[in-house]
Amino acid sequence: LTQTRLRLVGDDAYPDWEAVYQDNVDRVYAMMFAKVGNRADAEDLTAEVFLAALGPLRVSASVGEVRAYLSATARTVLAGHWRRHYGREVTTLAEMPDLPAPAAVDEDAPNPSASAIAEASDLLAGLPEKYGQVLRLRFLQGYSVRDTATALSITVANAKVLQHRALRRAAQLIEEATQ
Amino acid sequence: VTARRVNRFVSDLLRGRRPKRFRVEEHEAAELRAAITLRAARQGAGTPREEFVTDLRRRLADHVASQQLPGAQSEDARAPDTDGQVPDTHHAGTPGSGAPDSGTAAPPGTLTPDTRTPDTGTYGAGEHIPAPIPFRGRGELSRRRMVATTGIAAGAAAVVGAGADHLLNGRPAGAELAQADDPQTLEPNVGQWRTVAASADLPEGGAAGFDLGTVAGFVARQGGAVEAVSAMCTHLGCRLALNAPARRLDCPCHNTSFALDGELLRHQLPSPPPPLPKFHVRESNGTVQVFAPPEV
Repeated sequence: LTQTRLRLVGDDAYPDWEAVYQDNVDRVYAMMFAKVGNRADAEDLTAEVFLAALGPLRVSASVGEVRAYLSATARTVLAGHWRRHYGREVTTLAEMPDLPAPAAVDEDAPNPSASAIAEASDLLAGLPEKYGQVLRLRFLQGYSVRDTATALSITVANAKVLQHRALRRAAQLIEEATQ
Repeated sequence: VTARRVNRFVSDLLRGRRPKRFRVEEHEAAELRAAITLRAARQGAGTPREEFVTDLRRRLADHVASQQLPGAQSEDARAPDTDGQVPDTHHAGTPGSGAPDSGTAAPPGTLTPDTRTPDTGTYGAGEHIPAPIPFRGRGELSRRRMVATTGIAAGAAAVVGAGADHLLNGRPAGAELAQADDPQTLEPNVGQWRTVAASADLPEGGAAGFDLGTVAGFVARQGGAVEAVSAMCTHLGCRLALNAPARRLDCPCHNTSFALDGELLRHQLPSPPPPLPKFHVRESNGTVQVFAPPEV
């Protein structure tokens, strides 16, 4: 992450599709992972976005246009994924979540991973302490139920119940926020 | 029932598995959303695997070649379609169509030379456009990550490689199909997709040997996915024989046997030989192809 990055500005064009791919694959993947939460789906959806977008993309389009098109494609692909497999759009990508400013596309601009972290932090901050702890350990730290129970000095059964209740409470917060 | 399937979805996410599909009711959606939001905030969650990035690049090169899209030309008058309508990949792609294997053509993904060159920072606009665009941000970190995820990750990569055409048909290959500790997949410096069998000759559960001169191996279809492994025993290089009824590969020299996916099944050696190397494999126009060095 500390390596020098290409500095492309919004009205530059990419030299070829590989440049389009290499400049955007991390971003598209991060967008997708933030909305599906698992690697297998995030990889398939990322692939779908690029396969769908490559044909219509005019390579002479500007960097900004290409990114906007990829974002639009990602939104459609994600919506299709949820509708096809779950019958309902459980998550959506916001309209142009990170459309670059026309003047300069800065790699230090907020990326989807950062916004995913911020979203989770907000959610955890709204929960009672115990609930926040169990969700942090299980989801963010990747602790097993057993390790979580040990860390919180409770039984495994209690850890399961606590996780379940905490997630229900988090879901309520999300529902309240969207109403 | 509701609680059970939501719980299963959540535990799949926590175990890093692709969640089971089910019809989500309105009151279930928020809990799934909460789980996804939290899981996506884990350290490194938004960073793709190096193998995936490399493999998708190869698939895209294939896709571009098969559609004969203009690479860097700008004659293409079509404007980017910005109204959010996405071309239907389920029908648009005719994998491998019209892309005859032309001798020792550059392998997919090498329209430009290998891009893992040192980062060179910016490139100047104007007279000189360097062909290789360095992979950005893929240095120490990603190599370390690759080591950490060897095994499951490599197994999934092999399946993803095999699944390009399934994806085009709207059936993404399940990444959970191959999760065993995975050996190396052959990545020749110069390679091409070479046909080893007709898809029709490789039904579910079927296996067939192939010999391309430069490499020899076996292809097998299991669980819908086609895999290809080397035909050389990893102990001392004896040529393995297909034992079709037992669905395994037998070494004539030391009673070693491998599964059709390359895993070691049995041996009588002081230490177990490694699993068989794999080939990238795909299906195109009714044929099964492996990515192998050209004939010499």
